[in-house]
Amino acid sequence: MATLGMLDSANLNGGQKLAVKYFTVAIVLFGAQILFGLLSGLQYLYPDFLYGVLDFSVNRMVHINALVVWLLYGFLGSVYWLLEEESQHEVVGLKLGNLIYWVLTAAVTVVVLVYLFVQIGPGKESSIWLINEGREYIEAPRWADIGIVVSVLVVFFNVAATFSKGRYTGIAGVLVLDMLALFGIYLAGMFYTTNISIDQYWWWWVIHLWVEATWEVMVACIMAYGLMKVLGVSRKIVETWLYIEVALMFGSGILGLGHHYFWIGTPEYWFSIGGFFSALEPIPLVAMVVHAVFDAGARHAKNNNHPAMAWLIAHAFGNFFGAGVWGFMHTLPQINLYTHGTQWSASHGHLAFFGAYATIIIAMFYLGIQRWRGGTWMSGDLPGNGWKWKWALGLLNLGMVGMTVAMLVSGYVQSQIERAIEGSTWMGYFAAQIHPWFVQGMWWREVFGVMFLVGFVLLVWDLLTIGKGESRKMIEVSNAA
Amino acid sequence: MIEPASLGNFFTIFFTSAMVIMLGALYALLFAFSRLKGDKRLMPLAYLSYAGLLISTLFLADAANLLKHPFWTVIVAFMLVGYLLAPHAIWHLCVGTHAAEHVEVEPIKNY
Repeated sequence: MATLGMLDSANLNGGQKLAVKYFTVAIVLFGAQILFGLLSGLQYLYPDFLYGVLDFSVNRMVHINALVVWLLYGFLGSVYWLLEEESQHEVVGLKLGNLIYWVLTAAVTVVVLVYLFVQIGPGKESSIWLINEGREYIEAPRWADIGIVVSVLVVFFNVAATFSKGRYTGIAGVLVLDMLALFGIYLAGMFYTTNISIDQYWWWWVIHLWVEATWEVMVACIMAYGLMKVLGVSRKIVETWLYIEVALMFGSGILGLGHHYFWIGTPEYWFSIGGFFSALEPIPLVAMVVHAVFDAGARHAKNNNHPAMAWLIAHAFGNFFGAGVWGFMHTLPQINLYTHGTQWSASHGHLAFFGAYATIIIAMFYLGIQRWRGGTWMSGDLPGNGWKWKWALGLLNLGMVGMTVAMLVSGYVQSQIERAIEGSTWMGYFAAQIHPWFVQGMWWREVFGVMFLVGFVLLVWDLLTIGKGESRKMIEVSNAA
Repeated sequence: MIEPASLGNFFTIFFTSAMVIMLGALYALLFAFSRLKGDKRLMPLAYLSYAGLLISTLFLADAANLLKHPFWTVIVAFMLVGYLLAPHAIWHLCVGTHAAEHVEVEPIKNY
């Protein structure tokens, strides 16, 4: 019996109860990501700020690791959210799934505490296992790596076993294979070689292939589910497009890996492979524009969850500009030579991660809260005209665009002064870092970062209050799901 | 294999690269709207966007020294053909995949 307008677990199935836990941790980590980002941004402006207490290297590491982990939690939560509805069967091994959730969350907490309390020390074999693996973006110590792999394997078991006992759909097939890849590719980042080029070669498998293959496919599955739920698009259409988009992404995304191999000592043919497939990577985005226009025109975008729909649209634009425009501007090796690893990369990274991933997970948060409150009304005419979700959407997106442009200005200065004029010397590095345009960019990044934080606070406030006490049921959208 | 861009061409490369993607999307958008609404006036604008894309790509190719090497010249040609044909191909897929359901606006098929 659904309880309308109240947060009631009885409104959720078993998988969705577990999903809510994953979503909760995801939001907490999202907040931590913003906080540590603001602190490391301040340290660009005041290098002595918190020096010896909370060093820049640690702040930046927690900022980025929090991003990776909150997105992972968001994805795993989304998978559990749709699992029972999609398979028409209760989650197989749900108790194990719950246990792994608590183990993983405890492990993440311990890892972050160790990062914060053991900031410096000798680099020994034991520190790789217990403190920090030392690999950018995936610094988690080896014991935590093993924990992540085991956790993803358990999720894979939950997903595969549930679909094998229940209904096996197109989304199910893609999701099961993707979960297997998510587990398998992470293994590539769990061993060392003494040759730094070979080491980096495998490390990029995790970074690039997780992000531009397995995560993208997971997003495509979530989007397919979201479109059926919010717009009422028929299953046949979303599944056909799921296959098309996955094929397009794999066609360009996997070997697009080559654009990370330009400058790490790999053979010269990676210039050709990376350049070619990177040039192709925006084509699927252009294809999606045509499909989006067709679909919107065919069904006039009638929907039952305005905040979720707005975030799905933000996803389409963010993905296009962040990954497409900002990526292509510096992807060819002829120019990437000067931009790689500067604030230009950071600018692209911020907009692409936010646009491609954060937005769609926020859309799932809104779908989740709607169901948790018993399928409450979330269309137009919300109390206060829905000002909280609209301002949160505006501030988060404007904050992100502002940060992106600010870093672009700084990155431009870096690529010109540090790289092109000074030839990547230490002297060049410092000349760029103290240049007024670079510093001004860093200041504006901080200002827009604060705007982003305000948007985040509003988002959390809205998620806690939207639909509270609402007595209207959500609009039913017709679909063949 | 690659000839790095010169300092003076940085802005040209960044600007034209961005324009390639933006005009590619505008071409796709106008193309799709033209067929969806049956408005033939939008189609020349779509191809005008593609012409802008073509010019941007040529400026980009020149600034990034792509036309001095056969391999990179082939990539440029491939990109241009890809961007030109992608909206057509995707439109056909759209029509095909939505054939079973009622579509309120009858797409225009011949241009």
